Amino acid sequence: MYELRGIEKRFPGVIALKDVDFHIKRGEIVGLVGENGAGKSTLMKLVYGAYPPDEGKILIDGAEMRFSGPRQAMEHGIGMVFQEQSLISNLTVMENVFLGFEAQFVRFGIVDWKAMAAAARAQLQKVHLDIDPAEIVGRLSFAQRQLVELAKVLTLEERVEGDLVILLDEPTSVLARKEVELLFRLVRELTHRASFIFVSHRIDEVLELSDRVYVLKDGEVVDVVEGSAAKTEDIQHKMVGRDIDKEYYREDKQRPCDETRVMLSLRGLSQGRRYRDISLDVHAGEVVCLVGAEGSGREAVLRAIFGLEAPESGRLEVKGEEIRRFSASDSAARGIGYVPRERKVEGIIGGLNVFENITLPQMERYSSGGVLHIEREKQTAREWVEKLSIKVPNVERDCGGLSGGNQQKVVLAKWRSCGADVMLLDHPTRGLDIGAKEDVYEMIREMCAQGVGVVLVPDTLEEAIGMGHCIHVFKDGAIAKSFRATPGEKPSMYDLLHYMI
Amino acid sequence: MEFFKRINLERVKPHLPWLTLAVLIAVVGAANPQFLDPYNFLLLLADVSPLFIMALGMTFVIYIGGIDLSVQQLANLISVVATVYLARFGFGVALIAMAIGFCIGCISGYVTTKLYVPSFVSTLALGFVALSGAKYLSGNRALSMDAELRDAAFGWMFGSSWGMPHELLISLAFLAAMWFLQARTRFGRALKAVGAGELAAVASGLNVDRVKIFAFGLSGALAAAAGMLFSAKLSGGDAQLANGFLLLVIVAVLVGGTPLTGGVGGVLNTAVGVMIVAVIRTAMVYLEVAANHQQMVFGIILMIAIAATIDRSKIRVVK
Repeated sequence: MYELRGIEKRFPGVIALKDVDFHIKRGEIVGLVGENGAGKSTLMKLVYGAYPPDEGKILIDGAEMRFSGPRQAMEHGIGMVFQEQSLISNLTVMENVFLGFEAQFVRFGIVDWKAMAAAARAQLQKVHLDIDPAEIVGRLSFAQRQLVELAKVLTLEERVEGDLVILLDEPTSVLARKEVELLFRLVRELTHRASFIFVSHRIDEVLELSDRVYVLKDGEVVDVVEGSAAKTEDIQHKMVGRDIDKEYYREDKQRPCDETRVMLSLRGLSQGRRYRDISLDVHAGEVVCLVGAEGSGREAVLRAIFGLEAPESGRLEVKGEEIRRFSASDSAARGIGYVPRERKVEGIIGGLNVFENITLPQMERYSSGGVLHIEREKQTAREWVEKLSIKVPNVERDCGGLSGGNQQKVVLAKWRSCGADVMLLDHPTRGLDIGAKEDVYEMIREMCAQGVGVVLVPDTLEEAIGMGHCIHVFKDGAIAKSFRATPGEKPSMYDLLHYMI
Repeated sequence: MEFFKRINLERVKPHLPWLTLAVLIAVVGAANPQFLDPYNFLLLLADVSPLFIMALGMTFVIYIGGIDLSVQQLANLISVVATVYLARFGFGVALIAMAIGFCIGCISGYVTTKLYVPSFVSTLALGFVALSGAKYLSGNRALSMDAELRDAAFGWMFGSSWGMPHELLISLAFLAAMWFLQARTRFGRALKAVGAGELAAVASGLNVDRVKIFAFGLSGALAAAAGMLFSAKLSGGDAQLANGFLLLVIVAVLVGGTPLTGGVGGVLNTAVGVMIVAVIRTAMVYLEVAANHQQMVFGIILMIAIAATIDRSKIRVVK
C-alpha cells in the first residue's frame, strides 16, 4: 500500500540513505532499527514529507507521490507521533488535537467549543484515554500526552480518504514498562484503523510489536526479518555489521585506576527534580560511566560538574578543592574538559578554524598582554592534528565543514592540549561511524593511561560495559545501583537494564 | 551560460559588498565624472568620519548578534558634554567623552547579559536616558564652543597633510586599531567565538558575558568618539546634533556584510559599508533627492540588506 523504491538522500559530505526499498501493507506494524546515524531519522523524515528524496519514488497504492511538506503528506494519510512531543503545553487537549484544523467547528467566525469537545472526546476514545478535553496539556502525565498525540494523528482517519500510515518515533523511551505494554496493546488494536512504522533503539520491543523489521546500517537496508522469528542478538549483529568484541572497546588496554588520587568527588549533589543525592568518586585513570534512560539526570550532573548549571545542595570537590562558585570558565581553568552531546551546537564552532577551536579555552597560554601569538597556536594545533590523525588539509580549515569524527577529535584535542585531567564526555561517539568511534575509545584509554579521570555518559549500554571501570545506573534522577566493571567482573546488559526501568 | 552556472551564491556572498561598491562608484562616476576626482573622493570619505567611527563600534555588537540603538543619543549627549566642559578640560574632554561612552555601553551590556533584557530594548532605553541627560545639560538649547578654545584643542583634526584630510587619517587610525583588536587579540577571538557559536563558547569555558559587555562598551566608546568628532567639527553641541546617524550606521554595518545574526563580517566590511552609504548619499544629492526623502531610501535599503544578509539557519522564530 505504501512503498519506497530505490530511495537515495544526500547531505553535503554524506549519503544518508542509499537505494532503500521499503513497503508496508494495510494494518501492518513495521519496525525500523539501526544505530545512531544509520539513517533512521532521515528515512522517517522522508516518509512524513519533511525531506524530498534525491532519487527514487514514493508510491501510495501504486501512484507516485511528491510531498512538499508534512502537511501534504498528512493529506495523504501519513501521520507522525513525535519523540520530542509536539503538543503545545499551554493549550487544552482539544485545541491540540484539532490544531490547524479548527475550521470544521467554526460557525460565523466563532469556535463552537462544545462541538470540538465532543469530537475530541471521540478521538480520545480511540486511544482509550478518559480525560477532559478541556484540560490543559501541561497538566497531563507524559504517557497521557503521548496518547493525546496519537489521538491527534488519528484524526486523519476522518479527514483523509484511503489508508493511514502512522510513524511512532521512539514512543517508549520515556515510558514505564507497564505503560509500554498498554501502548503496545493499543497499537495492535488500532491496526484495523492504520498501519504503523515503529522506530526504536530497543530491539526487544521492536521485535515484540512488529510484524516485520527493517534493519538499517550506514543508510542501507541490510536485512528485513519477520518479527516473530528474529532474535535480538542477530539483529544487533546486523546493525553493527560484526561482533561487538572486547577489542572494539580496547578492553585489553583497560588498566586499574589510581585509587589514591581522587579527581572528582560528589557528595549528595541535588538539584530540584532533575537529580538528587548523587554521590560518586572519580579517580585518576578511571572511566566512570553514568547510564540511565533519557532524562534520568545524567547529563544534568555532567553540566553541574562543569559549572554550567549550579546544583542546589551537596558538595563537589575537584582534585580535593571544594567548589563553591559554579562557572564554566573556572572549571576550564581548573583542568576540567567537557565534550558536550550536541557537537555542532556546543562542541565545535563552525566559522572558526581548527586552531582557533583548539586554543579557545586556553587563549591566555597563547597570548601576552591580550595579543595572540597565532603562529604558536597553529604549531600546537598541527601537533594535535598529527597526534590524533585528524583529517584536515591544514589547520586554517573551517571546522564547520569537517566530518563528525574529525570534529569530535578537534573537541578532544581542544581539552587534551590544554592539559585537562578531568574529562566529562557526554555521548562522545554519537553519530560517528565505527572507525571514528574506535578512535575515540582509543583516545579515552590513552587519557586514562596518562592519569586523566573520565566521566562518560555513553551512547549505548555496551559502550558503558566495555569502557567503564565503574558504572552508576541512574533512575529518575538518583543513582539506583552502582557496579564495578573492571575486566573480569563486568555486569551484563540485563543487570543494568534491570535497574534502569 | 556555463559560467553563470558555476557561480555559487554562497561563494559570491562574501564579495558582494565590495562588488556593490565598485558598481556604485562606476555608475555614479559615469553620470558625473567630477565624482571620480581623487581629491573629491577623499573629502567625501573624510566627511563621513564620525559615521564611520560609530559604525566600527556598532560592528562589534552586531557581530555578536546584538544591536546598539543608543549610539545616536549617546553621540548627542557627548556633543553637549564636550561643548560644556571644553573650557575646563581642553582636549581631555575627548578622553572623558570616550570613558562616559564606554561606561554607558557597559551598562547596556550588563543589562543585556545579566538581566536577560534583549539588547534592542536595553540600548533603546539607555539611549533615552542619554537623550534626557543631553537635554538637561544643554538646557534644551543649541550650544556652541568658544572658537579659540575649540581651535586650540581640536583644530588639528580638520586640517590636511600630504593631501590627506586629517579626519580621514583619524578614521584610518581607528580602523587599524579596531582591526588589530578584532584579528590579533584574545578579545577579538572570543568575539568571533561568541558570534559564530555562543553556546560552544560557553561550553569551552569562555567568559562570554564579559566579552559581550566589553563589545557594548566599545560600541559606546566609539559612539562617543564619533559624537566628539562631530561636535568639534560643527563647533557646538545639542541634544539633536547627531540625529539621523543611527539608521545610516546600521545600514553601513549590514551592507558591509556583517549580518544581524552575527558571526561573519567585521570592521573591514564596515569600512566598505560606510563607503557604500557615502556614495549612495552623494548620488542622491546629484539626483536631487530631497533630504527628507533620503531616510526613506536608506530605510528601504536597510530592509533589503537585512533580508539579504541574515543567516536564517540561526533563527527559529521571529517576533
